[in-house]
Amino acid sequence: MPLMFAESELPETGLTPYLILGALLFVCGVVCMATKRNAIGVLMGVELVLNGANVNFVAFAAFNPAFQLEGQIFSLFVIVLAAAEAAVALAIVLNFYNNHMTVDVDTAEELKG
Amino acid sequence: MSLTEFHEHPGLYFVAATLLPLGSFVLLLLASAVRAFIRPYQEERGGDVVTPPRWPAFVATGAIALAFVLCLVASFDFFSDHHKLQDAEEAVRTAPPAEKEAKEHEAEKLAQQTEERWNGHWTWLSLSMGGRVLQLGYHIDHLSVIMFLMVTLIATLIHIYSIGYMGDELQPMVEDHQVHTADGHLRRRGRFGRFFLFLSLFCFSMLNLVLADNFFQVFISWELVGLCSYLLIGFYYERRSASTAANKAFITNRVGDAGFILGLLIIFAYFGTFNFQDVFAQVRSPFEDAHSHENKKTLERGGEIVRAEWHTTEEGKRLLQVSERGTGGEVVLFPAKPVMDGVGTAGQTVPLRAGARKPERDYGTIPYWMLVVAGLGIFLGCVGKSAQFPLHVWLPDAMEGPTPVSALIHAATMVAAGVYLVGRVFPLFTPEARLTIAYTGGITLFVAATIALVMTDIKKVLAYSTVSQLGYMMLALGVGGWVAGLFHLITHAFFKALLFLGSGSVIYGCHHEQEMTRMGGLYPKMKITALTMLAGVLAIAGIPFFSGWYSKDAILAQALGYVMAHKQHGLLFLLPLATAGITTFYMFRMWFMTFTGEPRDQHVHEHAHESPWLMTVPLIILAMFSIGVAWAWPVLGALEQHIHHAQPLAVQADFGSLEAGSSEAERWPGGVRIGLPERQNAQAYHELAGWVATGIVLVSIIFASLVYWRRYQVLDPAETKEQFPRLYAFLVHKWYFDELYSAILVRPALVVAQAARWFDAVVIDGIANGLGRAGVLLSRWDGIFDARIIDGLVNVMADACYSLGGRLRAVQTGSLRSYILFLALAAVAIFVVLTYFVTRALAG
Repeated sequence: MPLMFAESELPETGLTPYLILGALLFVCGVVCMATKRNAIGVLMGVELVLNGANVNFVAFAAFNPAFQLEGQIFSLFVIVLAAAEAAVALAIVLNFYNNHMTVDVDTAEELKG
Repeated sequence: MSLTEFHEHPGLYFVAATLLPLGSFVLLLLASAVRAFIRPYQEERGGDVVTPPRWPAFVATGAIALAFVLCLVASFDFFSDHHKLQDAEEAVRTAPPAEKEAKEHEAEKLAQQTEERWNGHWTWLSLSMGGRVLQLGYHIDHLSVIMFLMVTLIATLIHIYSIGYMGDELQPMVEDHQVHTADGHLRRRGRFGRFFLFLSLFCFSMLNLVLADNFFQVFISWELVGLCSYLLIGFYYERRSASTAANKAFITNRVGDAGFILGLLIIFAYFGTFNFQDVFAQVRSPFEDAHSHENKKTLERGGEIVRAEWHTTEEGKRLLQVSERGTGGEVVLFPAKPVMDGVGTAGQTVPLRAGARKPERDYGTIPYWMLVVAGLGIFLGCVGKSAQFPLHVWLPDAMEGPTPVSALIHAATMVAAGVYLVGRVFPLFTPEARLTIAYTGGITLFVAATIALVMTDIKKVLAYSTVSQLGYMMLALGVGGWVAGLFHLITHAFFKALLFLGSGSVIYGCHHEQEMTRMGGLYPKMKITALTMLAGVLAIAGIPFFSGWYSKDAILAQALGYVMAHKQHGLLFLLPLATAGITTFYMFRMWFMTFTGEPRDQHVHEHAHESPWLMTVPLIILAMFSIGVAWAWPVLGALEQHIHHAQPLAVQADFGSLEAGSSEAERWPGGVRIGLPERQNAQAYHELAGWVATGIVLVSIIFASLVYWRRYQVLDPAETKEQFPRLYAFLVHKWYFDELYSAILVRPALVVAQAARWFDAVVIDGIANGLGRAGVLLSRWDGIFDARIIDGLVNVMADACYSLGGRLRAVQTGSLRSYILFLALAAVAIFVVLTYFVTRALAG
């Protein structure tokens, strides 16, 4: 059976499930950032947070005609920014590793006030 | 300016002659500036003070001598031009009626050409008000030519003389025996160049004054002359007496100049121009109106000041009508250029035009009293410059300058400026002003002569005699003896320059001894000086056939003529007559005391010597002029006649008739003028006045010889002195003028100054100090406020921030995970808060 549905046959899901998904992703990301000691893990958490936000943007773009274009463009922006941010952050992590032979964020305390 | 221009306008020769000394002045000034720069280096290298150079004397002397030559050349040209003009006028007179008009045209054309050749002016400044301009220009007539020749010749001789006389100044260090400092006499640098620098500027100023064709240019030169005299009187400025004398001369002249400026203001305000000819053309009626030859109408009051009165017609229109002679509160100002309809008959209406007056073509008016004030103001300037009573006090003190300066400034030229100007602006003077001039001269000549009687300083005697002789000139001008006064100015210039230079030679020979009481018996030691001075003495005394005789006779005759017509002014003849005797007496007294008798001071007598040829040659030349300038003017020809050519017609208009048949009488419309008989009288009384004066002079000579030549035999001056102690004291104190001025002017001024000083020190300074103190107090409080309150506040804030920052430091843990925790918590908190507000907003 081909996975093809007529439009009318699709179940009426609404905005809420998307927002719940976005919030879930966001919370997962935050928890990931707060608990992981590995810097790479923290970066992953960041990606999750960003994607949670992205889901929200896209959902709003789909359901709110006023944001149709803006939501999509913002999500594209976020993707591009995430890529850039990942590149920079990975560079920082690599440097950190070179200097400290570890990627444990708890050891990175030089910026303490 | 090309040479052809000089050929077409030979008046420019005189301009060049004027500018030459200015060139010398500028050159010497630049040189002195250069020298002042390099002197410190020279002295550093040489270790000693540098000797002043001699060349400035040659530059200055060369400039003035060249100026003299230029004047001489141009004067030949000038005289030949005027001979041609006279011939043309003569031709008009003798021509048959048929040719008369053609000849007249010719003569007029020639007159215009001559005018163009000897006059010129350039615009100097344009004033924004009414398009008026200030001009620089030259006006050459017989008077200026003669003045030019006199000034340049005497100045040249004095320059030459000064090279010898100022020789002391050529030393690197001059010791001034009259100035005492803590360590002996004052020692200063020689000032040879400076002396000639000042002389050059002085010559320029004087020549420019004579050259000028307008009041303003005269005024500039006037002030420059005053400045130069100040500089030269104060030449030995370390001497207190010299610096005081310089100040006195300058300040006294300031009084006169205040009057001068007042006169200038009135003239410019009412006449709209400073040009002499334009001003005189406005104030004096023309002789005829500008109709063509056959219709020409002569005017009744040609050459006179025409007075008028305002009248109101029945319709209420105000008309200016010419009034009878001698009455009327307004003076008619004539258009500077001739007009078709002249006025001059009593009752005639003056055609005034409405609106702003154009001086060239419109009639105007000036209140009579204003014209009197203008005349008196300008005369006051002349009183100051020519040292007339009551401003005569500066001239005798001015003898503090070097003797050649006394000769140049205080005999021949500067004091001549005042007399010259009175002569030049004569048409401006109203009868009241002329009478003031006459009396001022009369008082001056008598007062100064009496003081000269008792002076013992040889230069002071000459100074007072100068004042006295200037009084003669003023008197002559005041009583209408225009020619006589200026004639005396020229002759006096020569013999007074001679006398001063002679006295300088005596002083030089006696090693700067000026007191006659320490001289005596100097004749064998300095024969040239003695004999040349004798020529000067004879000339000033008025011995027949010496130049002074001619001019003084002319003055006395003029005064007698005037007095005969106006009996109430008898003093104007008696004073000069008596003074003629006094003059002779004191001049001979001076000569006898200096050159004859027993030496009074052996020390002075032993060291006395004749001066070098540089000084005696000018003396000899001046002696020749003193003897002969009156009758042998430039090699035979009466000087008086030449001056007569320059006489303004106003003199005849005011003082009466001309000899019938003379060339002036022909030019004078209406011929001989009646009712003003002074001039005729002057002719008639010439012989009488001459005889009386000569008699008095001879008696005085005998008297002086008895007293001072064969001393201690007939009359002892010392005894006379004791017999009239009061009179003697009165004269020796110069009529107490200095004391009087000190009491009524100087002391009140000092009292006022004291009061002002007190006010300044106590009140003004008190206020200033009080304010200052208040300011200090206030700033002290302000300082405390600033330190405690403002700084305190700022410090408290800073401290608070600091401690807060210290506490907040703990938050910056540096742990990434705790940051994220905070971030998450903050996000949750914001979410909660936002939710709360949003729900409230939605509910509300």
